[in-house]
Amino acid sequence: MSVNATVNASDYGASYGGDVIIDVRNLKKHYKGGEIKALDGINCQIRRGEVVVIIGPSGSGKSTLLRSLNLMEFPTAGQIVVKGQDILAKGVNIDRHRQKMSMVFQHFNLFPHMTVLRNMTLAPMTLLKRSRNEAEKTALDLLERVGLRDRAGAYPDQLSGGQKQRVAIARALAMNPEVLLFDEPTSALDPEMVGEVLEVMKSLAENETTMIVVTHEMGFAREVGDRVIFMEDGVIVEEGTPDELFNNPKSDRLKMFLSKVL
Amino acid sequence: MKKWLSVVMTVVLMLTCLTAFVGCGGKEDNTLVMATNAAFPPYEYKEGDKIVGIDAEIAAAIAEKLDMELVIEDVDFGAVLTGVAEGKYDMGLAGITVTEDRKKTMDFSDTYATGIQVIIVNDGSTIATLDDLFVFDAEGNPTALKNPDIKVGVQENTTGDIYSSSAVDAWGFNDLNEDESVKTDRVVRYKTGAEAVSALKSGKVDCVIIDNEPAKSFVAANEGIHILEGDNEYAVEDYAICVKKGSELLEKINKALAELKADGTVDKIINKYIPKDGGATE
Amino acid sequence: MTGFWESAPKWLVDLKDDFVLNFLDEGRWKWLLEGLGHTLLITLVALLIGLAIGVVIAAVRSTYDKNRESMELHKSVGYYVLKFFNGVCHVYLTIIRGTPVVVQLLIMYFIVFASSRNSLMVAMIAFGINSGAYVAEILRGGIMSIDNGQFEAGRSLGFNYVQTMIYIIIPQVFKNVLPTLCNEFIVLLKETSVAGYVGIVDLTKAGDLIRGRTFSAFMPLIAVALIYLVMVIILTALVGMLERRLRKNER
Repeated sequence: MSVNATVNASDYGASYGGDVIIDVRNLKKHYKGGEIKALDGINCQIRRGEVVVIIGPSGSGKSTLLRSLNLMEFPTAGQIVVKGQDILAKGVNIDRHRQKMSMVFQHFNLFPHMTVLRNMTLAPMTLLKRSRNEAEKTALDLLERVGLRDRAGAYPDQLSGGQKQRVAIARALAMNPEVLLFDEPTSALDPEMVGEVLEVMKSLAENETTMIVVTHEMGFAREVGDRVIFMEDGVIVEEGTPDELFNNPKSDRLKMFLSKVL
Repeated sequence: MKKWLSVVMTVVLMLTCLTAFVGCGGKEDNTLVMATNAAFPPYEYKEGDKIVGIDAEIAAAIAEKLDMELVIEDVDFGAVLTGVAEGKYDMGLAGITVTEDRKKTMDFSDTYATGIQVIIVNDGSTIATLDDLFVFDAEGNPTALKNPDIKVGVQENTTGDIYSSSAVDAWGFNDLNEDESVKTDRVVRYKTGAEAVSALKSGKVDCVIIDNEPAKSFVAANEGIHILEGDNEYAVEDYAICVKKGSELLEKINKALAELKADGTVDKIINKYIPKDGGATE
Repeated sequence: MTGFWESAPKWLVDLKDDFVLNFLDEGRWKWLLEGLGHTLLITLVALLIGLAIGVVIAAVRSTYDKNRESMELHKSVGYYVLKFFNGVCHVYLTIIRGTPVVVQLLIMYFIVFASSRNSLMVAMIAFGINSGAYVAEILRGGIMSIDNGQFEAGRSLGFNYVQTMIYIIIPQVFKNVLPTLCNEFIVLLKETSVAGYVGIVDLTKAGDLIRGRTFSAFMPLIAVALIYLVMVIILTALVGMLERRLRKNER
């Protein structure tokens, strides 16, 4: 897919036959009457099972794009088509959409008044009507996967940063989402804790989880990403495999960026 | 007269008749013994062990005029009247209202203070006379309330407040026979007379009991309210000093009182305890 | 006993006489009891009214603040309704917090409820409406003080706004604002001391009435002050206990 490809409805219809689950079309978010353009015409597609890593300098709009996908931010124009439905259209049940698209935040955002287990069972029990037993079993299995089964009864305050983020990932997984969104998941961590979180993310990627990751961890992008998107000033500048972007950057802006971060 | 008549007079008359026969001689020394009942502020009340109030100060002024030493005896109100009548005390000052009955058993000086409490109602009110407030017995003493749902507005701590807060048989709106559980405070006490009057106008209270002087100015300033006229004052009190019948002290007391009135001492004393605007003391 | 008082120093006897005069004579202590009852009753009912108003207003105001952005995207009827009520709440808060409670009470008594003879009820409503404004702002402050990440985490899991509030935000707000709310109620208790302006015998007025009848200032005023003080000390202690308990539960 080329850098400036515009996907129109007929293109989309053709490609959806495959496994595109998110199709972002000419997405814009302008503030103050167009003075600030956080997103300025984004077009991209996310396929099932894919790990897409979004990189770019601060203020490039990468977090805004990610947060737009589950409407934590509200774009001002364009479309986000998820499995054939534009979630920006009037009358769309955003909450149901979000259940299928869990998010992991930079600052974990665990619920401090609940135990780890309760953090993980609240949404499945309330929203998916799972029984307590079922929800707790799933939660414990997921905690096992992130290596924190023994901390099920702990409160978030009693966990380290890395442990919190692993719980947050497990909480996101507990909803059995189709897509996992990661918003700079390691940026708020002490360096020695970054590894454990990336390890969990890597194991998810190996299990064919669809993931969109905004990160500054270039190592992770290169090693785990199926596709890397480089953004700057609200537009996608370059997009391709890790090998294409990291070893053969085409644009000067990407070259400049890589020279700073690598 | 209305206030004290019921209980006190019967007792007084009986005791007077009895003690009249016993009699006793007047005192020869230079003391002026005054009897009072120090539970009737602002006329007389205790401040520590000292008896103060309008009566106490007027008595002291009179004693000074007569060049005598004042001694105050604090006794029951009934005992004030009987004691004076039988000559046990030289004079009685106890916020004593001059009544025809009392005149039969003792002599009264000129009045030194008058208190009139009047009733203000809205024009068209069902309250037109005292009979619309109270049920009276044959002697003219109130025995019950005409309307138990009545609300009476007063200015807090004025005589009107104090009288209307008392029991029905003492001209209050507090029905002692009432069950405690259903007992309601029918007296609504406002900070100022003006507030009581505006509450009256908006129907929050059915009447306002207040001193005559401020009442006049309220009625003058407000449309649609009036003072119950004629013989419908809530309370009229002409206070005077009583002495034993035929006592030669009477003339001296009246002379002293006249002088004290003339030089403004009496007014000064009364104003000290009852501010002219009808406001609460203190 | 008699012997004791005969040999007691004069100041003590004076004090005793003053006490007897102000509280025992003519059952004057009953004024204080009645006044205390009315003070507590007004405070309690006003507190409940204030809480109800406060919750509604805080809900309207914070819902508007939190959802303005998403609702401006598709301006539905709901958006305009919410915007209207937010405006109404704003006017209410401005008026109530911008005028003294005693003036509000007098307006309620003499103008709004001019025909009501139940001054206790009027006072409860007036103090309730007054307290509601402060409770609303305490609650809204509490809601706004919760890290926005908590909202986002709730919403990102698929909870709607109301569910997010109920399961995630309110429990945290409650812990945060409970001490402040209790302090508001302590303030309210003391503020009801102006109830006497509309003819209610509250604790303060009871003291005034005794004062007006005994012409002595010391005993009634000190007694009234002590009763308020004891109530506030007890309430403050309870708030302190509550606070410690909540902090312990955090862990």
